[in-house]
Amino acid sequence: MSCARAGTGRTLLKLSPLLVPLALLFAGGLALAVAQSLGYMLPFDYHGGRFDAYANLLTERCIKSAALSLYVAVVSAGLSVAVGSVLAYGIWRLPERLERAAIVYKVPLILPHIAVAFIVLIFWSKSGVVSAAAYHAGLVASIDQFPSVLFSGNGLGMILAYTYKEIPFTILLAYAVLKRMDPQLVTTASMLGASEPRVFLRVVLPHMAKTLHTTFIILFLYSFGAFDIPFLLGESTPGMLSIEVYNLYFRRELADRPTAMAILTCMFLFSLFFIWLYTRVAKQMQPRERKL
Amino acid sequence: MFFQARGLTRRYGGTPVLRDVTFDVKQGEMVSIIGPSGAGKTTLLKLIAGLERPDEGALRFDTTPTRENPVILVFQDYVLFPNMTVFDNVAFGLRSRRIAKSEIRRRVMDVLDYFGLADKADQYPNELSGGQRQRVAIGRGLVVNPMMLLLDEPFANLDRNLKLQTAEFIRETQRTFGVTTLSVTHDLEEAFVMSDRIGLIMDGELVQYGRSKDIYFNPVHDEAARFLGPLNILEGEALRLVSDGPTGRVAVRPEALGLTVDENGPGIIAEAVFAGHFTRFAVDIGGERIVVYGNGPGLVPGARVSVRILDELIKKGTV
Repeated sequence: MSCARAGTGRTLLKLSPLLVPLALLFAGGLALAVAQSLGYMLPFDYHGGRFDAYANLLTERCIKSAALSLYVAVVSAGLSVAVGSVLAYGIWRLPERLERAAIVYKVPLILPHIAVAFIVLIFWSKSGVVSAAAYHAGLVASIDQFPSVLFSGNGLGMILAYTYKEIPFTILLAYAVLKRMDPQLVTTASMLGASEPRVFLRVVLPHMAKTLHTTFIILFLYSFGAFDIPFLLGESTPGMLSIEVYNLYFRRELADRPTAMAILTCMFLFSLFFIWLYTRVAKQMQPRERKL
Repeated sequence: MFFQARGLTRRYGGTPVLRDVTFDVKQGEMVSIIGPSGAGKTTLLKLIAGLERPDEGALRFDTTPTRENPVILVFQDYVLFPNMTVFDNVAFGLRSRRIAKSEIRRRVMDVLDYFGLADKADQYPNELSGGQRQRVAIGRGLVVNPMMLLLDEPFANLDRNLKLQTAEFIRETQRTFGVTTLSVTHDLEEAFVMSDRIGLIMDGELVQYGRSKDIYFNPVHDEAARFLGPLNILEGEALRLVSDGPTGRVAVRPEALGLTVDENGPGIIAEAVFAGHFTRFAVDIGGERIVVYGNGPGLVPGARVSVRILDELIKKGTV
């Protein structure tokens, strides 16, 4: 018993370079956010009720903001995983010399999110490259007639930026999985008469499924909570939750800080719930993946 | 002729892997292509399956293979879909053809019944033995009514004691389903057991193609003969001491020689190795050391023996 305890102690000691910052920064930050959302440890005298900040979240503005965040995160993560997995399969099927050239897909990975946001602005704003090209091609009579892709209230600009950045991330992970797949599986499926879509859906996709689920969770949670792209490409009403938090914390009254912290606490709890729900549903939907 | 290969040549990076391979397969026939590793057997199979194109030559089928009657290649590793049950694996080809569910179920269960796998229908490939996986792979190919079934090294992943049994099973299955089958293998005994005709590939060339016995007893040259099994090359004094018949240079297989204890015999047993259903003797005779298979009392190292080429095998043992 004492040996086991000593072993656990040694393991914790070895992990301490990771655990200590995590405990101080993450858990500490989380505890502070929860405390401030309940009116404790605030830099001013708090006179409200313990759950007033949470009650504030039930306003229409806040609910719309949450709905937009959810929508942008689901669509951008879903699109990225869907397109990325198909492209990864396409790259995997290329002849070897072209497969090496396809490394260009990694370029968006090294760009910071802020740079991607600017790229989307440059291309898709009313005065951007695409509208100018459409005007010169005669597709629109004037640049003003070009449809509002950005800031039109549907989060399309953010979705474009996220998918541009996240598709290569999906390719990177899915391609690594495909490199371990036996190409004869695809050959056999084709020989047995399966069409390309059927080969992809019934043979290739199940092989990538576990990785794609993880990828979706990572991308969803990032898009759900990120700040930089919504700051540049998001609308103000409704804004993404991260922008609402920023505004409440930095741009309004000190008294709004508990509400900002309540949003952050709810976002964290929702993220945990989402991971639990998604993995549970994915596990039930996915047939038993077996290795030969 | 059901299938014809004419002058097939395939090069990888300028190096020929197959050279001018020509042979025919009749409908319903079971053909095995044998040869040492790297001889070009699998390349030939890939050409016939349409996975690669020949640099020269042509493949001709009586009727062009279609989606309804395809050419199916069963890979050496069976390549079962790991995320599907045995039933789903076998049903995969039928589902790709949009056949009615009840029909798929009937046909799949018929095949699984035949292969003795009906009780494994809901199991996954990793829950099966090597032999069972192979049967699923063959069943998955047969259920789509193939024009031709190609088997790549069907015995490579099986235990030694299962190989012959599997060869007999493949032969029986091929006859039952009546599907024209071509396999490539380097397991000679199994190839002889299950094949109507055998082709011998060496260094990318089909050096011999014919009935199993003809290939075994009348190999085209010494190299082919040696690949097909142990061989004694007899000439001069050694040949005179074992036979009154042929002269010159004769190649004789160990099992084509008879060994009897003889106090005045010209041979001496130098070595005896027990090998199960026979004993392998090394016999010094006429200045040569030859190998003879046999069994019998008194056949021990040091014993004097006489050796004779068995009459019925003289011609067939001659190169």
